[in-house]
Amino acid sequence: MEAWVSRINMRLTFWRPVLITMAFLSFAPSVWAASCCGGGSATSLILPKFSKAMVDMAFDIERYDGFWNDDGDHVPDPPGSDLKQYRLNLGYAQRLASRWQASVSVPYVWNNNRYSALKSSTDGLGDSTVSLWYEAFDGIQCVWKVKSPKDLMPAAYFGASLTIPTGVSPYDDVENSFDITGRGFYRLDGSMLLEKTIYPWNAALQLSYGTNFERSVNREYGRYVEPYDKKLGERVQGTISAGYTYFLESMNSLTLTAAYSDLQEDHGEIDGRTDPTTGFRKRSVAGILAFATMDRDWIFKLVWSHAIQQDGWGENFPTTDIMTLGMSHVFR
Amino acid sequence: MSFVRWIFFIIVLVAAGCGSITDDLTPSGEDKRPEVVAGSTGHEVGQLSPDFTASDTLGNPVTLLSKLATADAVVLYFTMWCPVCDSHMSHIRSDVMPDFPTVTFLMVDYVTGSVSAAYSAQTSSGYADFSVLADVDQAILDQYQATMGTTVVIDSSSTVLMNEDYKDGTRLREVLEGLP
Repeated sequence: MEAWVSRINMRLTFWRPVLITMAFLSFAPSVWAASCCGGGSATSLILPKFSKAMVDMAFDIERYDGFWNDDGDHVPDPPGSDLKQYRLNLGYAQRLASRWQASVSVPYVWNNNRYSALKSSTDGLGDSTVSLWYEAFDGIQCVWKVKSPKDLMPAAYFGASLTIPTGVSPYDDVENSFDITGRGFYRLDGSMLLEKTIYPWNAALQLSYGTNFERSVNREYGRYVEPYDKKLGERVQGTISAGYTYFLESMNSLTLTAAYSDLQEDHGEIDGRTDPTTGFRKRSVAGILAFATMDRDWIFKLVWSHAIQQDGWGENFPTTDIMTLGMSHVFR
Repeated sequence: MSFVRWIFFIIVLVAAGCGSITDDLTPSGEDKRPEVVAGSTGHEVGQLSPDFTASDTLGNPVTLLSKLATADAVVLYFTMWCPVCDSHMSHIRSDVMPDFPTVTFLMVDYVTGSVSAAYSAQTSSGYADFSVLADVDQAILDQYQATMGTTVVIDSSSTVLMNEDYKDGTRLREVLEGLP
């Protein structure tokens, strides 16, 4: 799920071209693979216990369909518009010690926007994320039967993620909002992930708090302006998920997971003043189907994340559907 | 498998090191605005704005000069009916327009491509009370080298006083409060 946090950038990164610039913030339950038991749930780019490394690749197709305004009312896009963003996300996780692991994820973003009066197709690197996770447990926390209170203990992870503005932001040398693939700010997120599997069921809870770092701005969409300092708002995200695993005869497994996520970002600041036009909220649901091989070394995922296009489910944010195809491989 | 792992890792690093990166990694606060020759024609602050003609969403022809003739200044806001635009326009309506009754505010729709589609977007977005120009061929957009959220202020002598992102509206208020 930390991936949810990391992906936020990408999504926002583009919103119609800019917001599209805003970015990128939302979430599709990530396609990141394996959690402590070796795969299947909708968690972050987190290594299974006792494995050495993992590579992950995922392709997102995000379709924009209206937005919530400041009052939480859902507003349609202009007539004749077709707004999409595609992302190829590459991730790598490495075990550092028995309880420590680190990961990096890098997205490449394609913006494809069509309005009645104009079309735009641009691409570029998105904002990248590096993460460090601590596992507060030593053994596998997945059980088949609860025989004692100890069997109820979840796997607990505590992590920190730094988003690095490697994407193209409004403050780069760009021509217009359609070129945007990143937000342009460093952000530090602290996360806690609790995960428990009692086969065939699993459940997870992730809570994250992120702070954006203030930066100087002297250019907007390629035009130099009077310099100012800008800071995006603090961010809170919570995600809950529950899943069921079905074991095939070959002992390969299929896991179906449902998730609900709530993301909020507070108002930002310009030269220390509150910027009332920024900040947002997005609530979304997701379904994840994961196939894992018997040894849990390969995991394939199909994710559908849906923002409910009704009043009251978000504020100041685009409503999108995100389809993700992903694959992870674990090195033991 | 270790070979595959390293290849993947290298791809990630190369991807991170390439691309159009970017001033964002080391942001600058240096003022790099270009010098402008006073009285020249153009879109930069201090230059004289050329006239333009466009239709509003009610089908009426509108020229910049005709609007300047009846107002202390004209404010152009470029919208693509997105969340950011909506937030800005809502703020303009509630926090700026009431304090400047002698200024004309025009929203410029540069994405819908027709007067009827611009009117549809305007009304479905809840801005039927605004004056919206249908910039069908993006001529006004190009004239001011604008993009989503760009806010342009032109005074009654056709001088461009502001041409930048709306942000929180503070800069717009400062410019309008400085009008004679």
